Amino acid sequence: MSAPLPIKLYMHSGAVGGPNPYKVLIVLHHLDIPFTKVATDDSKAEWYVKDINPNGRIPAIEDPNTGLTLWESGAIIEYLVDEYDKGGKISVKNGKGAWEAKQYLHFQMSGQGPYFGQAVWFYRFGDNMPDGKKRYLEQVERVMMVLNNILEGKEYLVDDRLTYADLAFVPWNMVVQKWPLLSDPLWKPYQIEEKYPNFVKWQNKLCALDAVKRSYEP
Amino acid sequence: MASKTPTDITLYTVGTPNGIKASIMLEELNLDYKVHKISFDKNEQKEDWFLAINPNGRIPAMTDKDASGNTIRIFESGAILEYLAATYDKDHKVSYPYASNEHWEVTSWLMWQMGGLGPMQGQANHFNRYAPEKIPYGINRYVNETRRLYRTMDTHLAQAPHGYLVGDRVTVADISCWGWVAHGFWAGVEIDDFPALKKWLYKLLERPGFEAGRHVPTRHTAFEQMKKSPEELEEDAKAGQKWVQAGMKQDAKQ
Repeated sequence: MSAPLPIKLYMHSGAVGGPNPYKVLIVLHHLDIPFTKVATDDSKAEWYVKDINPNGRIPAIEDPNTGLTLWESGAIIEYLVDEYDKGGKISVKNGKGAWEAKQYLHFQMSGQGPYFGQAVWFYRFGDNMPDGKKRYLEQVERVMMVLNNILEGKEYLVDDRLTYADLAFVPWNMVVQKWPLLSDPLWKPYQIEEKYPNFVKWQNKLCALDAVKRSYEP
Repeated sequence: MASKTPTDITLYTVGTPNGIKASIMLEELNLDYKVHKISFDKNEQKEDWFLAINPNGRIPAMTDKDASGNTIRIFESGAILEYLAATYDKDHKVSYPYASNEHWEVTSWLMWQMGGLGPMQGQANHFNRYAPEKIPYGINRYVNETRRLYRTMDTHLAQAPHGYLVGDRVTVADISCWGWVAHGFWAGVEIDDFPALKKWLYKLLERPGFEAGRHVPTRHTAFEQMKKSPEELEEDAKAGQKWVQAGMKQDAKQ
């Protein structure tokens, strides 16, 4: 089989941007899938909404090998591991584990991303809205508690090995762990290290992966 | 209708937009299943036996048996829909062949619902109906974002040749969004502003699977409720306020 053509990844061009494209970037790096970034700083541009993503958000991909255009980071991850991880390096192909991985991906999409995202929004723009800040910081903590419980006695979410489900959580966790605007009010005041050690250990281990480091290189 | 296909499925649910996704899918596939109604009043979703099925303590959740008779537990409505399509829809009544382009397009919309429409409309509900105080800023932010998401669907459906989100048939993309759109009024969104979406909402209501599934485990009252006055809706919200605020306190304590 000849080498695949590079996948086009639509994402922001600057060093600072939302975490969702990084979910895709980490998977691309970890599976050594060739790709090129397409700078998309205006995701509401007409050409982009019309031809790439009707929702006008990044990331999206175009895969010249299959002719597919796909949007929503969760859908893109499902596609990439299905098409480019036939050996199951970070995916489970059958049975119970396969569905566990999918349900954790959905939990990331519906539970972690939106709530962490709202916390970010209120801390950036909600100066005079302490109730909003508090509400979403508490939701962030709740998600950490759920993950900490799931990880009790385990190194990874599914089948005790690294899967795409683990990787999908990394970028939003990194935002609340490393971005002072959120980590200052959260990490020490809520005693994250003390209360959720399984969660912290897991996140730190994932951050040390080569694919994660490469995804955040300037 | 042909008699239902027997299964080992038990659905743990409540009649909410996320809950009825699963029951509508089960009915569309004409499957026989058991229903366990979860009681929010008794905080049953936080009991140990339920957390063993769903560590996140949310509905819906489901158990089934695999080919070897081992119990499978699935939580997150989106994963439940994907599981049911892959396991029980071999004839592709409400899905497309796995890994076809249409299959991936359905997955995009499903993820969009899970990560966008559901959470944002949920926040609009919170600020519009359940929050201890009415904060105009919070209400506006989430009602506007919900309207943007409705506009995305409306624009797409207006151009869709068959009137479904993806291709020529109803899929989990439609099923996952439908219960949310039926309750748009609750979040403060006026369905008449979105004509193609409104047409889609009522077209799907005519399907026997939607009709049966929306009333699980309790009667779906969205279509009667949307005719009520703002004052009557405020009255309806009070019952929900009690357990939402109790649940928030409980979550904060953990």
